[in-house]
Amino acid sequence: MKSDAAVKAGKKQKPKENMALYLKKNWQLYVLMILPMLFIVIFKYGAYPFLTVAFKDYKVARGINGSEWVGLEIFQKIFNHKDFGKSVYNTLLLNILDLLFSFPMPIILALVLNEIRCKWFKKVTQTLLYLPHFLSWVIIGSLAYQLFSQNSGVVNILIKNAGASPIPFLQDNTWWLISYILIGVWQSMGWGTIIYLAAITSVNPELYEAARVDGAGRWKQCLHVTLPCIRSTIVTLLIMNLGKMMQGSFERIYALSNMKATQYTTTIPVLVYRWGIESGKFSEATALGLFQSVIGLVLVLVSDYVAKRLGEDGLI
Amino acid sequence: MKKMMKKATAMTVMASMAMTLFSGAMVANASEGAYTDYSEGFPERVTIQIPVYDRAFEGWNVTDNYYTQWIQQEFGEKYNVNVEYVAIGRTTEVQDFMQLIAAQNAPDIIFHYDMPQAVNYYQEGAFQELDLDEIAYYAPTYYEQLGETIQKYGQLDGETIFAFAGRDAIYYNYVNLIRKDWLDQVGMEMPTNREELEEVLRAWQEAGLGNYTEQLWQKSFTMEYPFISDDVTEEELALYLDLNVAPLTWQPTEDFLRTWNAEYNEGLIDPEFYLNKEEQDWKADFVSGNSGIFSFYINSSTDVITSLLANNPDAEVAVMPATAKSPYGNANYYEYPPYGLILGVNYQTTDMERAALWMFLDWMIQPENLFYLQNGVEGQNYELDEDGIAVPIEGYDGESKLSPNNNKDYYALVCEIANYGDDELNFKANLKTLAPAGYESLIEDSYNTQIPEDGIVTPIFTKAIESSSEYASDLNAMWQEFAVDLITCAPEEFDAKYEEYCQEYLDGGYQAILDEKQALLDEGSYIAE
Repeated sequence: MKSDAAVKAGKKQKPKENMALYLKKNWQLYVLMILPMLFIVIFKYGAYPFLTVAFKDYKVARGINGSEWVGLEIFQKIFNHKDFGKSVYNTLLLNILDLLFSFPMPIILALVLNEIRCKWFKKVTQTLLYLPHFLSWVIIGSLAYQLFSQNSGVVNILIKNAGASPIPFLQDNTWWLISYILIGVWQSMGWGTIIYLAAITSVNPELYEAARVDGAGRWKQCLHVTLPCIRSTIVTLLIMNLGKMMQGSFERIYALSNMKATQYTTTIPVLVYRWGIESGKFSEATALGLFQSVIGLVLVLVSDYVAKRLGEDGLI
Repeated sequence: MKKMMKKATAMTVMASMAMTLFSGAMVANASEGAYTDYSEGFPERVTIQIPVYDRAFEGWNVTDNYYTQWIQQEFGEKYNVNVEYVAIGRTTEVQDFMQLIAAQNAPDIIFHYDMPQAVNYYQEGAFQELDLDEIAYYAPTYYEQLGETIQKYGQLDGETIFAFAGRDAIYYNYVNLIRKDWLDQVGMEMPTNREELEEVLRAWQEAGLGNYTEQLWQKSFTMEYPFISDDVTEEELALYLDLNVAPLTWQPTEDFLRTWNAEYNEGLIDPEFYLNKEEQDWKADFVSGNSGIFSFYINSSTDVITSLLANNPDAEVAVMPATAKSPYGNANYYEYPPYGLILGVNYQTTDMERAALWMFLDWMIQPENLFYLQNGVEGQNYELDEDGIAVPIEGYDGESKLSPNNNKDYYALVCEIANYGDDELNFKANLKTLAPAGYESLIEDSYNTQIPEDGIVTPIFTKAIESSSEYASDLNAMWQEFAVDLITCAPEEFDAKYEEYCQEYLDGGYQAILDEKQALLDEGSYIAE
């Protein structure tokens, strides 16, 4: 590990004239980079000054500078709010379940897809698996209700015709949670395979040959060659996912929720929407968003640290 | 030397001012002289931004069409004003306005139909104080018609904040449609109270026809109105009626929930009524024949009846009296306040823009302009009948076509509906403009069954209720969850659950709102009618 870093550092130390030459030679690439950099500067860093709204009694008409500074009062208020604890709990619960079910699925799927030898079949399967990623949650939500609602859903009509009693897939708290997770798995698994498939293609074929010589079947090759080779990709994605533990998709909940099954639907993004967009309490919404981001940052740093201690590359 | 001169002039001026004050003529002169006369047009181009509701009508550009161009031509060019329309989503209006205000980009007028939300904008600091003399100066006709309304209802915390559009003419277009063919099929009469309605629903259920449903109550709370008995005191009405906060703990609301609970458990109510988040969903239930009753604001271009007939050519609709929803057989309904849109002037609007605004309202309220805006071009859009009522020409599709709700969103700045000057003519006009051709009797029946005395006007507080804007959105989320659970739970669980939810609701901010309202009632800071 250490010697590696030393070699890298050594390579980077180039004389100054070389650097200029290098820039001259590759200036097109740097020009290309300006656009994404601008995007990040304007939309990510440019928004930072407005975070002060979280520390002010913000009245829209008075503007950010004209509003009164109240310190941590807003934070106190949201921490004492009755929905705060519930939303943190729900956010964590939904994300942990998502991590347990949605995170491994693309890996398994990528391994399986990798084993398919028939080319056209593999392509068709992949395309079909990607498709849900391109549907917006609003559409998925209404599809879900067309299919799974208790009385008028197609699936339940079939169940009723078969003589069984309908299942409240979306209209009972526990069932809702299960449906929410499974629909999420369905929506995201195909898209997630892309990165893993790319990682798999970069595995050195000699390793497979060596494994075969040692008498490994396809299952063993998969277990002892493919998986270890894409381990760093898995860890990187895991760290990034852990950073999202306190976030969550607002649209996903909004599109799938109904007033009958509400136990798990109050999450942080939903509260931010309710306070910020629905009732114009921008200070509270910003404070909650800031809290969420700070926890997210801490989670990333911690998981990065743990990953490094376990001998992986980490992100930072 | 100079100093002495100054002093001397000042003394003379003061002396002469004191003199004229006594003469009394001064007062009139000052009020005229205080405002610049722009009747010949503004010295420089002034741009005013006017919001307009975007109801997502197909093929209709809300901000640029024949009528906005006409307004620019007739008013704008005459006074050197740019009239710029800003589209505000009808269903997302509060979000739209709030975001525009936050971006300091809101139009010069910010409006809303209900007082509590208008007060919310005020609490955000979005409005400036209005000067009655200034309105009277720049908009004499407008002020003559609406000045009193502004003085009576436009006050908040002792300042004049709101101006209004008028709502003179009788106008009530909320109708309850019922499937007449289903009534006939089960051989029953039109229900006139809740008990009879339940009988009808039971008969429908047995015959395998359809159920009763509504749209989930998410805002503008009036679902408890039919359950308000005659014993309810004025003070209770003032305390609990609130379009922005559902009065969960109030007796009529409890009765409403209990009735729905019983009906739900009996299978008379759509088992998935809570999935009807939009009016469209309810309409779809009615049109597809799942449900037999649909209540809505009717107008001549509605497609409810045509869609229903397309699905089921034998369908027949009639108007169900409003009393059918009430266990007491009363027709309590949300009576409109005596004004239409509530208008506030953006705090960023300059003096000159404000003058242009008043002149714009005054121009629009002139009878000939208003009539053109409401009816279009004679011979193309409408013909005048013997009473002088403009009767729309069916199927006109030329360039001066009115918007699908008859341009209402444009003239709503000054009035709610065409006023022909007397009730009888207005009634005749309503029949022609509100109902689709051939269905005038729906409007007629609706007026006949709506008993005017049963309208309840929500009292207006003359001070802002701070706790309301603080808790309303959280309470709203709670209300929806509680109401659905209370209706769908087993009847024997109802009492315990209701008690528990009420407590949670009170703790969640409702008690604070009630306390603040009670204090305002005690000190008399409200207008009851």
